Amino acid sequence: MAASLSSLGNVRVLSALAWSSSLCSFSGSRGLHVTVSCCKNRAARIRVGKGDKPVTYEQAHHPHHIGHRKGWLSQHTSNLKGEDGAAERTVEDVFIRRFMFGTFHGCLANEIVIKRRGNLLNVCAVMLQKLPPQKFYFLIGYTESLLSHFYKCPVKLEIQTLQDKIVYKYL
Amino acid sequence: MASRTSKTFLSLGRINIPLLGFNKSSGKVKYATALSINSSSGNKGLPDRGGRGSFVRRPRREAGEPRTGKMPVDQDWTAVYPAAAPFRPGSIPLPVRMGYPVKGGIPPEKKGNLELIKIPNFLHLTPAAIKKHCEALKPFCTEWPSALETDTKCDEHFPIKLESKEYVSAGPSLRNPSARIVHLRVKLSSLNLDDHARKKMIKLIGERYCKNTDVLTIKTDSCPLRQQNYDYAMYLLTVLYHESWKTEVWEAEKTVADMEDYSWEDSPSQKNILDVLLRMKVAGEGDGEEVRQQLLGRKDVQDYKDSVTRLKNEGESESSMLQYKEAVKKVFNM
Repeated sequence: MAASLSSLGNVRVLSALAWSSSLCSFSGSRGLHVTVSCCKNRAARIRVGKGDKPVTYEQAHHPHHIGHRKGWLSQHTSNLKGEDGAAERTVEDVFIRRFMFGTFHGCLANEIVIKRRGNLLNVCAVMLQKLPPQKFYFLIGYTESLLSHFYKCPVKLEIQTLQDKIVYKYL
Repeated sequence: MASRTSKTFLSLGRINIPLLGFNKSSGKVKYATALSINSSSGNKGLPDRGGRGSFVRRPRREAGEPRTGKMPVDQDWTAVYPAAAPFRPGSIPLPVRMGYPVKGGIPPEKKGNLELIKIPNFLHLTPAAIKKHCEALKPFCTEWPSALETDTKCDEHFPIKLESKEYVSAGPSLRNPSARIVHLRVKLSSLNLDDHARKKMIKLIGERYCKNTDVLTIKTDSCPLRQQNYDYAMYLLTVLYHESWKTEVWEAEKTVADMEDYSWEDSPSQKNILDVLLRMKVAGEGDGEEVRQQLLGRKDVQDYKDSVTRLKNEGESESSMLQYKEAVKKVFNM
């Protein structure tokens, strides 16, 4: 998100200044808050090009379509009102996505969907048939056992395979 | 692998003997031939998995037809989806489409559709599956006791009601700090209290008492465990009950301002109405205790007393004001 946009060369100024009331006659304080530039109008968007770039449904729709044309990639109860643990679940999600991307390198057809059902962590992924099935089975078992030991909860991997990526449109 | 090593050993064996007698140039020639033998044997039979040189790929097996083509119409669906599982396009014989269509197109099909995987599905909860669940659970169920058929009977046998909440959430931890809160509800009418004890109890519990329903609610959350909070709530109830039966010495100093209900006897209203009536009365009757008692005994004065008491206790409303008006009219003979 903000950290990944560092390649655009933005200035990192994070400061909050507050003046005390001793200087001004009215009682009150002022604050100045400056953050990293978020570039919200460039996030997760693939720009329209010549028409030869194949793009999946997930990539073709921009973030403001979430909730309207796209669903949520990660579902758990911590984002409801009065529930806690949202930060921990988010960090887990980020780690799981990177882990899957690295373990099944080049095989992922689309984003990873993470569902939590109570204690169980269900990772659903759509893969391309690039590796022989035995390698797939090994990697699935390896991922499941490693993540279960890491997060101390049962982790289930649900994999579907495709021949090629499903193209939604060409940009 | 084993044949390769054996061949190298053989070649070395051949080389070693001549080296003892001959010069080095002939030895080099022998080395070269040994190498060529090895490389040729490598190509013939065994596929080299390391990838060095040319490697033979195992012929790729084509993916078969998905299961949807072979499903009979009257199959047992509970066997296909016995538990909650994500959407599998190869297992569901429905031509489902989901997604926003491209301009001039239709929603994308189910194969490789991430949107269908994202959403929760209830394919494991068909009516047949739920029936099976119920049948499986029936042996563990018992009948509701016949003596507790109505709510009033339940209240009579079990006057104290306890409430606590369990929390289920997605995450590795079971614990939720809000699960320790215990609510204890009891009707004061089901406790054995006399008039003084009831008044004292209501004063002691203050805000925890609801006048309309006559229910005392004790909420405990100060202890970390639910069992401890339950014990504390029961202890509080016991202490309240015993304390309200005791009469302390300083309770004798209760003033009119402390009274819960308005009582008409010895109130300014009584004095006023008696004074007015005495002045209204034909002169000559005199002012004395017996006259006052006689006046108090009159029916319209009693009605006035009821209406004033009702106004003060229940507050102002249409009916109570009407009642007061009627009583005043009667007293003054209007």
